[in-house]
Amino acid sequence: MKTKKIIALLCAVTMTVSMLSGCAGGSKTSTLEFFDVAANYNGVQGGWFAKAVKDKFDLEINIISGQGTGEQQYATRAASGNLGDILILESAQFQDCVKNGLVKDISDEIYKHDSLKAFQQQIDALNKGLPDNPDGKIYGIPTEMMNTSPTSYSQDVIYSSPMLRWDLYSELGCPEIKDLNGLMDVIAQMLEKHPKNASGDPCYMASLWPDWDGGDDMIGIANVVQLTTWYGEKIKQSLILKPDGSFIPLTDKAGSYYKILKWWNTAYNRGLIDENSASQTWDDACAKMTAGQVYLFWYSWQVGFWNTNERLADGTAFIYTPVKDQKYYAEADSFFGSGRVFAVGSKVSKDKYKKIMEFLDWYASPEGAMLQHDGIEGFNYKKGDDGRYVEMNSNALVDNLPVPEEWGGGGWNDGNNQINQWIVSANATNPLTGEPYSKQYWSTYKEANYTQMRKEWEAKFGAKEPAEYMLKNNLLVISPNVSVALPTDDNDISLIRGQCKDAVNKYSWRMIYAKTDAEFDKLWDDMTKELNGYGFDKLMQFDKEKYTIELNAKNAVK
Amino acid sequence: MQGMKRRGLTKKQIRGYREFLYILPFLLLVLIFSYYPLYGWVYAFFDYRPPTPLADSKFVAFKWFVYMVENPTRLKRLLEVLRNTFAISGISLFFSWFPMIFAIFLNEIKCVPYKKFVQTVTTLPNFISWVLVFSVAFTIFNGDGVISNLAMNAGWIDKPVNFLQNSNHMWFKMWLWLTWKNAGWAAIMYLAAITGIDEELIEAAKVDGASRMKIIWHITIPGILPTYFVLVMLNLASFLNNGMEQYFVFRNQFNSDYINVLDLYVYDLSREIGGYPLSTAFSILKSIVSITLLFATNWISKKIRGESII
Repeated sequence: MKTKKIIALLCAVTMTVSMLSGCAGGSKTSTLEFFDVAANYNGVQGGWFAKAVKDKFDLEINIISGQGTGEQQYATRAASGNLGDILILESAQFQDCVKNGLVKDISDEIYKHDSLKAFQQQIDALNKGLPDNPDGKIYGIPTEMMNTSPTSYSQDVIYSSPMLRWDLYSELGCPEIKDLNGLMDVIAQMLEKHPKNASGDPCYMASLWPDWDGGDDMIGIANVVQLTTWYGEKIKQSLILKPDGSFIPLTDKAGSYYKILKWWNTAYNRGLIDENSASQTWDDACAKMTAGQVYLFWYSWQVGFWNTNERLADGTAFIYTPVKDQKYYAEADSFFGSGRVFAVGSKVSKDKYKKIMEFLDWYASPEGAMLQHDGIEGFNYKKGDDGRYVEMNSNALVDNLPVPEEWGGGGWNDGNNQINQWIVSANATNPLTGEPYSKQYWSTYKEANYTQMRKEWEAKFGAKEPAEYMLKNNLLVISPNVSVALPTDDNDISLIRGQCKDAVNKYSWRMIYAKTDAEFDKLWDDMTKELNGYGFDKLMQFDKEKYTIELNAKNAVK
Repeated sequence: MQGMKRRGLTKKQIRGYREFLYILPFLLLVLIFSYYPLYGWVYAFFDYRPPTPLADSKFVAFKWFVYMVENPTRLKRLLEVLRNTFAISGISLFFSWFPMIFAIFLNEIKCVPYKKFVQTVTTLPNFISWVLVFSVAFTIFNGDGVISNLAMNAGWIDKPVNFLQNSNHMWFKMWLWLTWKNAGWAAIMYLAAITGIDEELIEAAKVDGASRMKIIWHITIPGILPTYFVLVMLNLASFLNNGMEQYFVFRNQFNSDYINVLDLYVYDLSREIGGYPLSTAFSILKSIVSITLLFATNWISKKIRGESII
């Protein structure tokens, strides 16, 4: 009996000891809890990007996405008092977190790091603008900063503009498009000629998706909100900012929200819209873009799902097609950042803090930015004979190319940086090359892709790039980039906002699918009535005060 | 008194203490997991907004309770949501005999392998999550789904139809999905009750010349009716809690007027960061209503059937 007891005791002791030593043993890779409102991904980063970070910092990144469930994820974590080790927050969340001590004061460390110091002007502007920060302490780093100026526009394309397949458009003889209805007619003709894609699936003018609705600080459905910029207008929550600097209600029938919604509805009734638009996910919609089932693109990123180098060469790629009555709203270079903020959680240990700052410094460095924007040297690009960088494997994203083991293996797309947000914009100038980080702006890329299609386009429109054409013809309403802290919602306002968002989403989709004009207008009136019932006036008043602050700052820069 | 003290604890008392210690862990669990969370109710009385701590939040008394009904538009929404909740729960309640009948018929199948097969097939859906159920529904009923494609090929329709966007008969359709998923599972309880029926009763009835239907009517059904009543009452108590997963996955912008149930509405409100206190206030009211319903049905049960369930 006694021996048994002794053996049992010994077993227990050895188990405890081995467990403890297991925990403390050696230097283990530490894992950063990364709370990230930009991420579309949950879990530990894998693949080639993970390997690069691990080799450099012995770090693993565990991403906690703040997307998908509204602000619930953020709210729960914020209520617990610890958001994570490293954070990407929306501007309003950042303000609240600074106020309540959830974000670490990084003034002591930040400018010891050269790559971060390079953005001191922008970082200072963000932090000195914070309310209740009289000492100008540093809490956050802006995202997507540029090293140009807050009023310049250095991209070749704008975020949203109508884009058509060049082969289909030229097949029709490149007719001049007067307005939205003209655009629809042209696409209807394309569909008549080519109703199915190569594999026999039906084609549409557009295949919409509902899962972005209400995100990104917007009231209204994403596929409508974005297109309102085609008329120089910008939806600011409950308001529409007109090109002349005045605000009108979102529910104004003369505004662009009504106009675009009605346009989709007309297209739907002409049978040009995918019937599944209201119920499919973004992934479903993207699959249709990749399969060539969609004839109108309007986000600049959409071309990534279709325009390969081969298609640019054989002329079947998408490109901006001018519509005569349009003038485009565009945000200037995000010199001061795009609104979101990188920050460090207030509960991090000393060791982790040091590592995080080193990581952020690398993330902002030319070396880090190249990895994020251009991929792996030797796989995604290489140095050519003349010393300029040249793209390789341009279909790495589209085809999820396998990455060689030496760089971490796995699919390229699967191993891509899931943080999904950058400190340095892809359009910023890389000090190592003097060219933007984005591969599409490299001189080698432009030379290689000055294809027959581009030549034809240039001959027709008299410009090399869409943005150049717009600037030349004075079609761009450029909104300067500013850094201002805007008032955040209290509970009453945010509840009204939430209810209004839901109502606008609901009625908007019903209006797109409305069978008659009368039904459409009735739904619009019902929507307006319901919004007013929730307190839309109060919301508009709040938003007007809020966005006037921003507008004034922008006017001051102009 | 003094005499007792001197005598110390009696054997019975010691046993009492010991047995109390046996249940103590469970009492603690109940306290921690069922009563301690009630402390969270305090958030309903503050203008709480994370990350601001509760201590710095403003006390607003019953503001959020009044908020739900003070504004006509919101009141209308609330009534709409309550209507759906009552309708969907009502239909379930109205058809609550269905699993019972299903169990009886299942029990009558004499071929054992076939009986097992039916039971397995009907029970399995219970273990499939609603998300998966919906993806099955999506591939069958959406615009490029099986049915739409078949109908197109057959020439019955000239344009794809997305059946999931149809808001007609929403409550009944939801009940159908729920029954498809749950009927087999719910029948298990009745099957157990049926095995509890005294075999001698059935033998005696057979000797007396009772037909199969008569045995069911006079022996099986009365035998499992108590089980049925207990389950119905438990269902009644959770009349307002018809869960949200099912309605969440099936909801879209077209059927939302008929599918938004209370739980889903609370979820919508709490999704916005300012909705915490409001949704807490809602759940307090829901708990109160549920407790009231439970006591009411218990009271009715006592009056009608002479036995209570709690």
